[in-house]
Amino acid sequence: MRQEKTHFAVASTGAQHRPGRAAWLLLAPLVLWALAFVVAPAAIMLVYSFAQRGTLGGVVYTFTLENYAGVVDPVYLRILIRSIGYAALTTLLCLGIGYPVAFFIARADPRRRNLWLMAVMVPFWTSFLIRTYAWVTILKSEGLLNSLLLQLRLVAEPLDLLYTPGAVVLGLVYTFLPFVILPIYASVEKLEGSLIEAALDLGAGPLRAFARVILPLTTPGIAAGVLLCFVPALGIYAVNDILGGGRVDMIGNIIENQFKGNARNWPFGAALGTALLVSFALLYAFVSSFSRSSAARLR
Amino acid sequence: MQLARRLLATWTGFVFLFFYLPIAVLVLYSFNASRLNIVWTGFTFEWYARLLEDRVLVRTLENSLIVASVTTVLSVALGTAGAWLLYRYRYRGGSLLETLIFLPMIVPEVILGVSLLILFVTIGLQLGYTTIVISHVTFCFPFAMAAVQARLAGLDPALEEAAQDLGATPPQAFAKVLVPYLMPAILSGALMSFTLSLDELIVTYFTASAGTRTLPLEIFGRVKKGLDPSLNAISTVFILFTALAVFAIEALRRRNP
Amino acid sequence: MTRTIWRAAFAAALAALALAPLAASADEELNLFAWSEYVPQSVLDGFTRETGIEVNYETYSSNEEMLAKLVSGAASYDVIQPSEYTVEALVKEGQLLPLDHAKLPNLKNIGKGYWNQPHDPQLAYSVPYMQGTVGIVVNTKRIHEPVLGYRDVFQPKYAGRIVVLDDAREIVSWGLATQGLGPEQVTKENLEKVRPVLAAWLPLVKVYDSDSPKTALLNGDVDLGVVWSGEAALLIQEQPGKFSYTLPKEGAHMFIDNLAIPKGAKNVAAAHRFLDYVLRPDVSVKISKEFPYTNPNVEARKLLPKEALANPASYPPGDPKLATFRDIGRLAADVDKLFTDLKARSGS
Repeated sequence: MRQEKTHFAVASTGAQHRPGRAAWLLLAPLVLWALAFVVAPAAIMLVYSFAQRGTLGGVVYTFTLENYAGVVDPVYLRILIRSIGYAALTTLLCLGIGYPVAFFIARADPRRRNLWLMAVMVPFWTSFLIRTYAWVTILKSEGLLNSLLLQLRLVAEPLDLLYTPGAVVLGLVYTFLPFVILPIYASVEKLEGSLIEAALDLGAGPLRAFARVILPLTTPGIAAGVLLCFVPALGIYAVNDILGGGRVDMIGNIIENQFKGNARNWPFGAALGTALLVSFALLYAFVSSFSRSSAARLR
Repeated sequence: MQLARRLLATWTGFVFLFFYLPIAVLVLYSFNASRLNIVWTGFTFEWYARLLEDRVLVRTLENSLIVASVTTVLSVALGTAGAWLLYRYRYRGGSLLETLIFLPMIVPEVILGVSLLILFVTIGLQLGYTTIVISHVTFCFPFAMAAVQARLAGLDPALEEAAQDLGATPPQAFAKVLVPYLMPAILSGALMSFTLSLDELIVTYFTASAGTRTLPLEIFGRVKKGLDPSLNAISTVFILFTALAVFAIEALRRRNP
Repeated sequence: MTRTIWRAAFAAALAALALAPLAASADEELNLFAWSEYVPQSVLDGFTRETGIEVNYETYSSNEEMLAKLVSGAASYDVIQPSEYTVEALVKEGQLLPLDHAKLPNLKNIGKGYWNQPHDPQLAYSVPYMQGTVGIVVNTKRIHEPVLGYRDVFQPKYAGRIVVLDDAREIVSWGLATQGLGPEQVTKENLEKVRPVLAAWLPLVKVYDSDSPKTALLNGDVDLGVVWSGEAALLIQEQPGKFSYTLPKEGAHMFIDNLAIPKGAKNVAAAHRFLDYVLRPDVSVKISKEFPYTNPNVEARKLLPKEALANPASYPPGDPKLATFRDIGRLAADVDKLFTDLKARSGS
């Protein structure tokens, strides 16, 4: 997630050096960490994905491709496509809702910015489960929202809000909004105020100035926000379970089911996980190179 | 521009309303007299009183705080080091390392949890604080690293040069010039790590042991019985406490820039 | 400012290191791995008070979760709490230690009917903890017709007003029951027979919830459902006169949750002591008070108040058609796939 260098052509003594032994030594802990806790578990998952399921769960080390056949089975593909749909919608909504907020905070009085950021984070120090159940209390047919609407005579009967796809999207947006706001904030904050004012002064209406100048410059922040929202949203299972009444199964539920549910099929879960992992890695690589190239283009 | 600013402010206001609505409900219902916490039946302080007697809940809160603190320290250390080293030096395989580091951020938590569990079992590491912290750091430190990387991207290299011209040795330049410059990003990474670790449920489920349960695990366990208001009470206490702490730190920071 | 932060972090790290050994050491310990919220703290505290053995209560919310952790070998547990079909599977795989009945004098308190169940005849490996059923709950204030079986529940007129358990095995067994098949008759052919039945039922469901189905009923978002008897009993306790509980006439699932000692248990003696402790009537009745399922301990039942025994969800009257689940091995994956597929098609 490299952000572009926004300062201008100062001679690069800050350019990258070739690492000496000391530099490699300092990097060693990170390399070891990555090997031990990212590569090793992923390798184990990969091995499992080619194995057969044990009777009580776990695996039997007999090679099979049946798990990957399962991954492309229409039953699960349908759910995957639906998950992608929800994740994409959530991401778009988060971007639309969160960008103005990030912009507002980034352009606020510098002394207040941190407070605003804290204010964004504070709700997320409560338990995610309790927060989600609070939404149940708000959205249910005898809940706060419906009571309010009935009191104000805006509706004649309680609205069917809870246990619907809409409630799931609401919950997802609620969960991921800060993850989108923060990187965009970081991007906007680095824009020099003079740049923005210059764009606005040059006769461009605020909308054009925004679209043509500001938005493109904040692409890295947007890209980061998209990754931090879209990808985890694909793997979510609790929010949709609670707010969707268990009716909106997503790929995360399927995976969870293989390990913790009736299915007892670890290798299949591993295959699904590996497939997702590979897709995510590719997506990340793509987005990274895109943001790097767009930054280069802008210069 | 004033109009634009005002529109943005109104929009932000609505978004904050959205953020805090469930929190308000959560806090309100911590005073709910009904144990089943589904309909409001009356006002009471009973649940707060119960908190004092609920050893288990308080113990798990302690565990969560300890784990989150250690995770934050390690994440910030690894993240800052990683961001700095990758910025400064052109390592072979550097971008591969970076991708690997960021992977846990975006992998479904169930997969992360199960694969780490299997890893720990394979190498014979007993589940407990160590395994929880390892799992938390694995997905928290990429956030810390990303924050510092972003800040580094805006670094004016002349700054460091100037320090060295003035006679500072590289370590001194690092400590006296770079670290203060990076501090906002370090703090933001720390904040992110702390938050993530505190509320982490799924990965922790797989890597914790009976003696080291965290608060989210405990809450998750109690869902079956219905989330009784003492869980709301502990969340409220917690949010109050951390909000106060955070604002206190911020106030201190502004007095000593 | 920076220094303060570092100092605080350092202190926190030290605290963690200091406290960690505290968590590990204790004189004697029992590692209990059980359903979340299924063993009252008072029972655990009482046990520790009497024996000095500290109980570490780790929880799970499904048999499969328990198996996942158990099979991985990551931690060793002394007592686990499997349901009946899981006991059967574990015994088949040799994963349970045979119980020493000499160490369990209170075992005699268990009712005769529980001594000859297919999953563990003679109670050689497990001890019944609580028994329950899965049955029909109706909000009688909203629904006035009788609802006596699965077919009565899944009618188009109740569309969007139904809650069911989020459990593939359960729902498939209900489908099988309407076809005159028992829950153990899970075969690929029978699954195909059941498919159209479930395909018609599932679109009518509003909420799937195995953790707390009573929530939706209390909220008024649904008016009837097929749920655990314990949940129904709590509803009846909470709002008497509003909810009814009936066992479906086509046949209902009777589940028995048990305590057992897994193969890798470190503290087998303490495990036996715990089992015997739980079998004591005065202890067992405490469990009943918190979780109004059917108590298999007949001596404990004698100590229950009249209202508890009168609760039709806890102690269903009459002679209903009941069956336990058997271990179905690999077919569990087929059951799951069927359910997943139909749920996805009927949902949104």
